[in-house]
Amino acid sequence: MFDIFFFQQLVNGVAIGLVYALMAIGFTLIFGVLNVVNFAHGEVYMIGAYAGLLAITAFAPPLFVVVLLALAAGALTGFGLERIAFRPFRRFRDEASLKSKAMREATLLSSLAVSIIAREAVEIIMGSNMQPIPQQYLLLQPVQIGALTFASGQFLIFGVSVVSLAVLQWLLNRTRIGLSIRAVANNPIGAMYVGINTNRTIIATFVIGSMLGAVAGILVGLYQGTIFPGMGFTPGVKAFVAMVMGGLNSIVGAVACAMILGVSEALATNFIAQGWADLIAYSFLVITLVFFPTGLFGAARERI
Amino acid sequence: MNGSRQAPVLALGALFVVVPLVLYLSGSGYAFRVATTIGVFCILTVSANFITGTTGLLSLGHAAFYGIGAYAAALAATSFGWPFWITLPFAGLVTSVIGILLALPTMRLVSIHFAVATLGLGEIIHVTLLNWVDFTRGPMGIPAIPGIAIPGLFKASDVGNYFAVAVIGAIAVFAIHRLTHSYYGNALRALREDDQCAETMGLDIVRLKIEVFAVSCFFAGVAGALWSHTTGYISPNDFRFNESILILAMIVVGGLGSIPGAIVGATLLLALPEVLRPIGDYRMIVVGSVMFLSILFLPRGIFGEVSALDLMRRQFGAAWRRDGRVGWR
Repeated sequence: MFDIFFFQQLVNGVAIGLVYALMAIGFTLIFGVLNVVNFAHGEVYMIGAYAGLLAITAFAPPLFVVVLLALAAGALTGFGLERIAFRPFRRFRDEASLKSKAMREATLLSSLAVSIIAREAVEIIMGSNMQPIPQQYLLLQPVQIGALTFASGQFLIFGVSVVSLAVLQWLLNRTRIGLSIRAVANNPIGAMYVGINTNRTIIATFVIGSMLGAVAGILVGLYQGTIFPGMGFTPGVKAFVAMVMGGLNSIVGAVACAMILGVSEALATNFIAQGWADLIAYSFLVITLVFFPTGLFGAARERI
Repeated sequence: MNGSRQAPVLALGALFVVVPLVLYLSGSGYAFRVATTIGVFCILTVSANFITGTTGLLSLGHAAFYGIGAYAAALAATSFGWPFWITLPFAGLVTSVIGILLALPTMRLVSIHFAVATLGLGEIIHVTLLNWVDFTRGPMGIPAIPGIAIPGLFKASDVGNYFAVAVIGAIAVFAIHRLTHSYYGNALRALREDDQCAETMGLDIVRLKIEVFAVSCFFAGVAGALWSHTTGYISPNDFRFNESILILAMIVVGGLGSIPGAIVGATLLLALPEVLRPIGDYRMIVVGSVMFLSILFLPRGIFGEVSALDLMRRQFGAAWRRDGRVGWR
């Protein structure tokens, strides 16, 4: 069982898990601050990948410029998304309406409507079929370490993810904007009373979360070689599952559960067909919800 | 009291006389097929509205239960050769039983956790339909499902499909209407507004949730059976998460908790792409924009719950006490 193939799959799983983790952080940050699910997050991932592809086809920049451009596209998308799909529904400022069911359902569906519009717009502009990434940017050069073979894209995914996670931790724990994000997530009204600009904090949260989502999109695009308008759906749902398993508000939990998901999906293909491997994520989700309703890493709550 | 009998007659008249006549004069079977699809989705949205709007349990997996019904009917009809009047209730019952079995463990979850659990269940069902190739033929789908026909009486046709869907739709809507506009429906609304308070008042909320889930799944299954009989071909892609979201969008655009709203929403979101066919590629953008704008400017939906209840009180006197006193019959 513990042969070369097993370790190979383990590495693949960690790479996919890191991609899920980057997306799950975006979900978690936004859920923490607004208590709503952002259904357009998969489209942010898609837009990041397309921004990278556009940059590559337009002026063939070096790789890190492509990543930076994807980050910029993600930031812009996050900003626009907050303005269009979330801001108009925060009509009142009291805590009851900020966390109310009506507001949650309205923003859930408005983000969904915006994601439909964005996906269809990209489909009209870029075409609905698969877009290949130019050969010289593909990150599939084999790298031999001992008996194991890695693709160079896996190193890039490891590197970029670890750097992003480190920067995120620094941002959240060592900077003023991180402090205000944590404050708003903890208690929006209290944050407002002590003079934190909640609207600006929410925008910052969207920008940070969407940058991580967009960078995940371009990394997967470069690694898998094709991008298409509907590419955001599956990783979006898996990242969502990771967020719920992690306990909705815990970034560490979301990252850990995303890794668990990625690794177990990759290892599952050792034993069962690829199609059934999708079942793993959803079974984990339901099992977690039934036996650990607060998530594996969530803080204890009054009631679920 | 005379006025109170007009609205049901008008609605049935529109359903069985005016709409078929207009469709017939427009002179194409295609118009009938669109109307049939709208009818199937009306059953589906009304059943989804019963669980999401009236009872307040946000279900993100409704399309999967619709899919179970469609597969149950399609397999029963193609493998055993059962006629449609057996497969319809059979599909409903199968969906109901599977729905209850799957949903039992999730019944203690509330709000977003319940929604996420139904999402997971829905995707599990979808993946199973897609990969259990021996049983469901997987991504190839099930072709050549017999249409709705009674030997010697009428043959399978677009017009016949329309009337079959109309009759079953009217029965389904009436059943859910009577459940919603009654003391039972009031209990469900109490559960939606505050389940802890409702429990304190003596309502058995877990039992209510299971019953609602069973009824909702039953009609979703019936809608699925109608879908497989009227289109003749089904594949797992018809029952994806996107479809659940479309159903949710329909009931939110129409108005959560309102039966006429669910019907209006289904009609609007399905008729728009057809009406907008001339503008081709841009139609889904228009559909998304309509969704967005209606959430923004009509937060209660096009036909909200309050105005729907008011309509029921004035026009559909049936569910109310005749003597004019407060309460349900």
